[in-house]
Amino acid sequence: MAIDYGQLVQGDRIHASLLHDPEAFAEEMEEIFFRGWAFVGHESEIKSQGDWVTRHLGNESVIMVREYDDSVNVLANRCAHRGTALCWEHRGNSSFFQCTYHNWRFGLDGALRTVPFPDGYSKPKEELGLDRAGQIEIHRGFVFANLDGTAGALSEHLGAAGYQLIDRLCELSPTGRIDLSKGWIAHRVQSNWKLWPESDSDGYHVGFVHASMSASTDTHYDEVAVGGDAVSSSRAVDYGKGHLELDWRPSYQTELSWLGVNRDKVKGYCEALTARVGSESAEQMLWDGPPHAFLFPNLFLGELVVAIVEPVGPGEMIHRHTSVQFEGVEEGFNQRLLRQTEAAVGPASFITSDDAVTAERIQAGVSGTRRSWAEENRGWIDLSRGLHREQVDEAGTRSSDASDETTNRGFWHRYLEIMSRRVSM
Amino acid sequence: MTTPALRAEVEAFLYREARLADEFQLDEWEALLTDDFHYWVPAGRLEGEPADQLAYLNDNRTRVATRIRQLKTGKRLSQLPLSPMRRVISNIEVSDPGDGEVSATANFVIYELAAQSSRELRVWPGHVQYRLRRVDQTLRMSAKWVELVTADIGQRNLTFLI
Repeated sequence: MAIDYGQLVQGDRIHASLLHDPEAFAEEMEEIFFRGWAFVGHESEIKSQGDWVTRHLGNESVIMVREYDDSVNVLANRCAHRGTALCWEHRGNSSFFQCTYHNWRFGLDGALRTVPFPDGYSKPKEELGLDRAGQIEIHRGFVFANLDGTAGALSEHLGAAGYQLIDRLCELSPTGRIDLSKGWIAHRVQSNWKLWPESDSDGYHVGFVHASMSASTDTHYDEVAVGGDAVSSSRAVDYGKGHLELDWRPSYQTELSWLGVNRDKVKGYCEALTARVGSESAEQMLWDGPPHAFLFPNLFLGELVVAIVEPVGPGEMIHRHTSVQFEGVEEGFNQRLLRQTEAAVGPASFITSDDAVTAERIQAGVSGTRRSWAEENRGWIDLSRGLHREQVDEAGTRSSDASDETTNRGFWHRYLEIMSRRVSM
Repeated sequence: MTTPALRAEVEAFLYREARLADEFQLDEWEALLTDDFHYWVPAGRLEGEPADQLAYLNDNRTRVATRIRQLKTGKRLSQLPLSPMRRVISNIEVSDPGDGEVSATANFVIYELAAQSSRELRVWPGHVQYRLRRVDQTLRMSAKWVELVTADIGQRNLTFLI
């Protein structure tokens, strides 16, 4: 029976079966990751012609490559002949992609160049190129792709807020440019992928899941997230289209709190930023720091970390992260960002390892629920926190206390918009 | 020069270090470290400059103290309960580079039960490089660098002492 998403995703609750149902998972890969826009990677990962990296868009393995004309291509990592994966490494540099099965050779644009013993083919080569993303758009180096090519413009997907969130991160760099070429670390988690957009943008759990971090070291999260509305003025924000932010800015008590240092430790950085944006803007930016935001469906702008939420199966996913590196900073500054990233995010980190175990416990908790229980009022997940005190501005942006579930509702609202478009077979 | 006596002393040290890590005897483990201890688990091979890479773990002495403090809070969800785990270390090679420290390398396999969540048995094979130094007549560890066989493909939670 077709899944009735409208029944399973309601304004203040969602049904737990959506977190493990293989059918729902397969439909998400199709509707969200194949028919919609998703983040692929960053231009700084492929600086030179022929540079490529492999990535997953949903379950589809793709190659993001810098072409001879400097444009960026997103190609299926799959030979157009018999389906062999073309690239095995995470990254490399090639002047062509050659399949190891029958030595078919493709250009960086995905076009079939040569095949051995060509006399055996009457079909034109033009019909045998690699599958490629139907649309690619880039904003400040962030490469987005829509595989099927029918999703409309990226601007419709990102909206003004999506661009602004990316801009707020990049603007903090002295040159206005960031570099994401330090490599990605995969955190393999036994949970559904949808638990991470929620965790990454959930302000309610911080003081509980991360109590051990607060108890063992000083972090800015004590200032902006722990203690709820009694102590912080941070906001949970739903910009629409599934783009979410935990806006820490109102809570910071000192400048550079997000970097965990005083100005004298990063003088060169502060001066370089001031030189570009002027002292008034720089003062504000050094207080505000980078956004803690999630862009639907798979991009986490985690302050000085960028992460990709990568679905693997209904109960298996990868949270893949890298460290933001700024251009034009003094020696040692970017190393500081690397060490900060290692502390915060990844399998051995002080923070997201506890999110991972939480996601795995949720997965264990929901794995027995059945879709049919929805009618019997069983197996629901409550997301009603703060519904009565949410504010909506003239642009339609919803916000509430940072411990409210405005962000979680925003994710599921967008999910429902997309999934309910699905025409029942 | 590597004498049989030195080799025996190093082996005893490594076995003890392994047992303390397996059993989460955190204070005893921490007491094995020098003040400049460096703990590194790269996301690839043991090569290049650690400071310039994004690693799973790259702890100086202060950072590893925080790591241990966090485990000792009793609130570290990813180690509540602690992972039952045992490791086997083997292929130990000891060398004395003549710089006042002793180098040792070994292979290891850790069997860890994810008792906190899925109850999956997690297997962690790898290679480890130690630097040991004599402080007040006893050996201490000044570096532990761990190369995971699976370094390249990502990891499950790694919140024990590897």
